[in-house]
Amino acid sequence: MALLEIRNLHATVDDKPILNGVDLTIDAGEVHAIMGPNGSGKSTLSYVLSGRDGYEVTDGEVIYDGKDLLEMAADERAREGVFLAFQYPVEIPGVAGLTFLKTAANALRTHRGEGELDAMDFLKFVRGKAEALDINDEMLKRAVNEGFSGGEKKRMEILQMAVLEPKLAILDETDSGLDIDALKVVSDGVNALRGPERGMLLITHYQRLLDYIVPDRVHVLAHGRIVKSGDKDLALELEAKGYGEFMEAAE
Amino acid sequence: MPDGSGHMQPFLDQALADSASVPGAKVDWLADLRGRGASIYGDRGLPGRRDEYWRYTNLNALGKNDFELANGGPAVDVPALPHRAVAELASYRIVFVNGRLRPDLCVLDDMPDGVLIAGLGDMIAAAPDRLEPVLGQGLDLHEMPLAALNTAFMRDGMVLFVDAGVDVDKPVHLVSITVPGETPLMLQPRHLVVLGDAAKATLIESHIGSDEGAYFNNLVSEISIGEGAELNHYTFQEEGPAAVHIAATALNLAAAATYDGFLLQSGGLIGRVETRAILNGSDADCRLDGIYLGTGEQVLDTTTYVEHVAAGCRSRQVYKGVLDGKARGVFQGKIHVRPDAQQTDGHQLSRALLLSPRAEIDTRPELEIYADDVKCSHGATAGELDAEALFYLMSRGIPAEAARRILIEAFVGEALSEIRLSQVAEDFSAHVRNWLSANITVNTAD
Ligand SMILES: Nc1ncnc2c1ncn2[C@@H]1O[C@H](COP(=O)(O)OP(=O)(O)O)[C@@H](O)[C@H]1O
Ligand SMILES: [Mg+2]
Repeated sequence: MALLEIRNLHATVDDKPILNGVDLTIDAGEVHAIMGPNGSGKSTLSYVLSGRDGYEVTDGEVIYDGKDLLEMAADERAREGVFLAFQYPVEIPGVAGLTFLKTAANALRTHRGEGELDAMDFLKFVRGKAEALDINDEMLKRAVNEGFSGGEKKRMEILQMAVLEPKLAILDETDSGLDIDALKVVSDGVNALRGPERGMLLITHYQRLLDYIVPDRVHVLAHGRIVKSGDKDLALELEAKGYGEFMEAAE
Repeated sequence: MPDGSGHMQPFLDQALADSASVPGAKVDWLADLRGRGASIYGDRGLPGRRDEYWRYTNLNALGKNDFELANGGPAVDVPALPHRAVAELASYRIVFVNGRLRPDLCVLDDMPDGVLIAGLGDMIAAAPDRLEPVLGQGLDLHEMPLAALNTAFMRDGMVLFVDAGVDVDKPVHLVSITVPGETPLMLQPRHLVVLGDAAKATLIESHIGSDEGAYFNNLVSEISIGEGAELNHYTFQEEGPAAVHIAATALNLAAAATYDGFLLQSGGLIGRVETRAILNGSDADCRLDGIYLGTGEQVLDTTTYVEHVAAGCRSRQVYKGVLDGKARGVFQGKIHVRPDAQQTDGHQLSRALLLSPRAEIDTRPELEIYADDVKCSHGATAGELDAEALFYLMSRGIPAEAARRILIEAFVGEALSEIRLSQVAEDFSAHVRNWLSANITVNTAD
């Protein structure tokens, strides 16, 4: 059984059609990349999958882990193991990052029937994961994403992913705004989470990321539809030729 | 009981009937002061829509009820103080139940030299001369019609005198507990705080009431802070749900005086706290901060007037409100800079969070500036919880109600983080958490 099966997904924002029939299947253990020009609907797809308000599904269905994903509220999906690393992580002043992460982790643990971690155990657990991502205590102590640089925010997203251990991780342009060192750190973090139980959907604009996180499948999204799929070499082809001909194909 | 001009002046007859028998009736200056209060209130009547600063807070219900003047009455069961950290704090405690001093509940032993904490009633009886130079001096009754009413009735309250140079070793905790019976009660407490030059004190006020029964608590505080003196002032307004709490505070700051006030308002059906701060001496520093939490059909009104008379003073106001149900918040704040008040630094900010579509806030910020070299600002925001932040939290598995709660706590927490006395901050936070638990359904399991 596939981990995620998207069938003929159509979605609108403010009555404007953005997704126009997306079909995509991800098996557990696989990493898929979605590439596409700006405005092609990549973030919209990530929001529809994670349950953000304001995105109306007008047709199609999404089966996740044997369940109807679109029936679930955003928080429910997260507790069922869906994780979105945001293209633009949200700053929340006044909410301590660690407390936020602990609340989230414990909500997931409770849902899975595991006991909650107390503050000390949790801190130890997070520190272990943070170190590998070059995140120090000072960063952990700040309010959620407040005052972080673009690259720091992306690293914090990966830390959250590492802590929450999702079954399906969607990473929306996690590579954008990263210098080469940060890209390496983030990619190592993502690769460390690859595993037979976990599926990943990498959304990216550039082929560069895929040198570090080698995908099993690559898809091209244009005008809200997947217009071509292939193996990792498709990304290189895209890099060489640009999106032009795929865009035309989608017209 | 409308008079010829058509406005209501409930309570006036009672005050006049009372004037011959009230304690201190034979002290001329006091009788004059009370008479002045009665006459100003008689002219103005109960404030209503025609009064500029009472447009949003309707007191008509007061005119319809018969209120009986509270006089302590028979011993009642006194509810425990909800403020645990503050209750355990070593402090001088002065307690009023149904408007009258309860010496048996007070903790006023070993007061240091230069500190006087006493009941106003006792002071009127024993040493009215000490009151004469200060009582009624710090406020303009024409600006505060209900303070005029209070003046007509006043008979008890707290007196806190701190001599020049004295640093009061413990906080002073003023507790007002109201337990009304069948008949609605009216309270007219009058508090007087005078800090001499370079004196220092911390004052905590707890206003609590029993869950049932209507009452009208119309209190007035006159606070005068001498040169270089410092007062930290924290107030819990947690009156009973059927109460009308109307507080007027008149603050006078001398040169280089500091006032740091923080108000938590969440009690009463109507709560209105008006503060008029006059910065008379140069280089004074005045902070008026607060949070209010409203639900049901509550009306919570914060009205401030800060007058910069002297040069080089700073004033800062930050008020944050959370309104649910059909609650209504009112924020009216004015900064008035007189021509001589150059180098004034005056700022004001009002932020309200509306949790329900029927909650409402009326905001009225005003700057009136007659000096040219000043830095003044005001700002007001009102809105719902940030949908992006809410989604971000939920996308991590945090249930919707818990996510809402986290964001609300963050909104008020910012204000609480600036409170210097940790026990007070702790009790304020506990109150916010309890309020959220009672008013926001939290569902951690799914
Ligand atoms: N909230 C919104 N309101 C209106 N249009 C939107 C909104 N979000 C996205 N869009 C539009 O949907 C299209 C796809 O956007 P998006 O999914 O962000 O693309 P990508 O992530 O591929 O750059 C764009 O034309 C964008 O302008
Ligand atoms: Mg995008």
